[in-house]
Amino acid sequence: MHPATHPTSAPDGRSYRTPRLRRRLLRGLLAAVVALPLVGAAAACGDDAGADGKTKISIFWWGGEARAQLTEQALDLYTKKNPDVTFEKTWQANQGYFDKLATLTAGGNPPDLFQIDDNFLAEYAARNTTLDLASYQESGKLDTTKFPPSLLQYGVVDGKLAGLAAGENTQGLVYNKTLLTKNGLPEPTTGMSWEEHIAWAEQVAKKTKVPGTQDPSADYKAFWVWLRQQGKDLYSGSELGFTAEDVTRWFELWKGARDRGATPTADVIHEGNQTDITKQLVVTGKAATSWVWVNQMPELKKNTADELGVIAYPGDPSAQWARASMYWSVFRGSKNAEIAVDVINFLSNDPEAVKLLGTDRGLPSNLDLRRVVSDDTTDAAMKQSITVETELAEKFGESPQVPIKGHSKVRAELIKAAENAQYGRATPAEAAAQFVAASQAAIAS
Amino acid sequence: MALTTAPDPTRRGSGSVRPPATRRGTGRIRHGEGLAGYVFLSPWLIGLMAITAMPMLLSLYLSFTNYDILTPWSEVEWVGLANYERMFTSDPSWWHSVRVTLSFALIAVPLKLAAALGVALLLNRAWRGVGLFRGLFYLPSLLGGSVALAIVWVNMFNRDGAFNSFLALFGIEGKPWVNDPDWALETLMVLAIWQFGAPMVIFLAGLKQVPTELYEAASVDGAGKLRQFVNVTLPMLSPVIFFNLVLETINGFQGFTAAFVLSNGTGGPVDSTLMYTLNLYITGFTDLEMGYASAMAWVFLIAIALITVLFFSTGRFWVHYSDGEDR
Repeated sequence: MHPATHPTSAPDGRSYRTPRLRRRLLRGLLAAVVALPLVGAAAACGDDAGADGKTKISIFWWGGEARAQLTEQALDLYTKKNPDVTFEKTWQANQGYFDKLATLTAGGNPPDLFQIDDNFLAEYAARNTTLDLASYQESGKLDTTKFPPSLLQYGVVDGKLAGLAAGENTQGLVYNKTLLTKNGLPEPTTGMSWEEHIAWAEQVAKKTKVPGTQDPSADYKAFWVWLRQQGKDLYSGSELGFTAEDVTRWFELWKGARDRGATPTADVIHEGNQTDITKQLVVTGKAATSWVWVNQMPELKKNTADELGVIAYPGDPSAQWARASMYWSVFRGSKNAEIAVDVINFLSNDPEAVKLLGTDRGLPSNLDLRRVVSDDTTDAAMKQSITVETELAEKFGESPQVPIKGHSKVRAELIKAAENAQYGRATPAEAAAQFVAASQAAIAS
Repeated sequence: MALTTAPDPTRRGSGSVRPPATRRGTGRIRHGEGLAGYVFLSPWLIGLMAITAMPMLLSLYLSFTNYDILTPWSEVEWVGLANYERMFTSDPSWWHSVRVTLSFALIAVPLKLAAALGVALLLNRAWRGVGLFRGLFYLPSLLGGSVALAIVWVNMFNRDGAFNSFLALFGIEGKPWVNDPDWALETLMVLAIWQFGAPMVIFLAGLKQVPTELYEAASVDGAGKLRQFVNVTLPMLSPVIFFNLVLETINGFQGFTAAFVLSNGTGGPVDSTLMYTLNLYITGFTDLEMGYASAMAWVFLIAIALITVLFFSTGRFWVHYSDGEDR
């Protein structure tokens, strides 16, 4: 029944022991040769800490090609002045940046120095991932004497200096100047009320067939400015700084605007809710106004042939503040913290480096150098954004507290709730209740 | 037939079938061979351990903790079943993602298999140029879950995308498909169905295995085309259908890339494309709740395993193996 079980290998079992053994050894050796390089390759991926007195600082940021070039030049300048320090530079687009940063940190391989913004600063600071820079600031290794105090303060989380502002910006309403002039329409101005803005947008829509304004009800930064004008805030301590009634009023304000035809349809609003610069409706021609940050003007300008203008968000501009557009933070466990701090100091205060970097990350934090940069710039859009922000700076109110842990989820929940109302799947009151409940859960955990 | 396909006892790996003489004579050498075998296997084995097994076990452990990625290991707290409790009792977005994924799989998988089988039947003929068509229909599935394809899809099904221009030819006003919460998931289903090439090729191979004498016998008995299909093709093809069904269901549940690209990683508009895996990703990497995300992953794994078991247990009733008597 089992024809195949004849022990075909049995006869040579005993008599050929020696060659067999050699063959066995050979086989093992061969296998080892195949397997070893893999192990070696794995080992080679280890640390590259220099034993020759040289230090390599790993640095990670998000941004586009232009930012990468400027940053690389500035870092090369640092290496030129400090030949013992070189950099391992990594950069990528904003989308996915924080996923990657979190993964690097979890993998025990975080960069010494990284770019971060107020959406995540508290998340990292609350988990002690960022180094407290206060002691360096006190010892003068980190020179912040030329910083506006409120800008510096906007990097403080739980009494620790979690990040140093890499630049300053503020909310900016960017509109399509060409479209307005062509149709003989007035340009919007800073200080217009929200109602006036919506009425103006309706007028634009009627005349040009282009919706006058993106509906910013899903945009946390617009909501935030509006809240501050109502005497509220996004956060107050570890709680939400607003109630469901506030959110309802906010959603209703924009439902009114949609009903009047001042905004695009829900699906186009959804497109514009992406943070990607190239998707902003003022650039894609799907609305006359987009809600962005002032320092994004030059980047927006690159994506359209039309002339653009920029003003503050509607309402009292003192609700806006000197916001750190982004920060430099040092990983708490970095072995090269001293040097990393020095690099931050260099990027913030070295005249040559700051000039190189320009306003790419917002207005330079160092006020003396900010003046130099704004005098020197030749980029019209950049000059415009500097002028507007400098004007606004005189009206700025006090900085709010840095958004708390859970903020990134709150932002996502606002988009979800606002879109629910925009698509007509929920009333403003229902959407507001949903948002408040989800946000409370998000910041509680 | 039965002799050649009967399982070869020597390949069972158990030493018990081997005559004692064999074992005594070559036992040690066999042992050495085994060692060499393992050494040869080691690159894969080490990979399996380090890249699959270890992280899986680790994630099982993490699912009972409040691990948030950024906190060092030493400070991770054991929270018992809290993550699992939260999932089932107080997380509406988890339930929502379960619903989204189920409706995706329940609609897309059967339609994809039907499309694959239908086209396979058409292409199972000796037409001129049939090879070209086989290649063309297979092409989309080669692109797999690629990001580029998802981007193309999003642009095709925009308000001003190619699909709406096509509809406009007939005077139909399209919708902003991918940006409409009522249609975004359906757009993803169409993408999944369109990539029916892989199951189609397997169906084609299965169709070629159906003995022609069965069709001849059936037509002699007066069975028409439809009867032949129902009574010959389908039963003969049932093992292949079963295989495709299991595979595509698992694939369907794991859909991620297209939903991620379409919604920019948010699951939007209004959570309409919040597939389970996307929700898991957002929870773990954006909201930094990796412990909770690990629990979600394990529930997912167990659910897929249960569904597969369910398929296998019902398979007995409708899957016919031609060499059934051997099993």
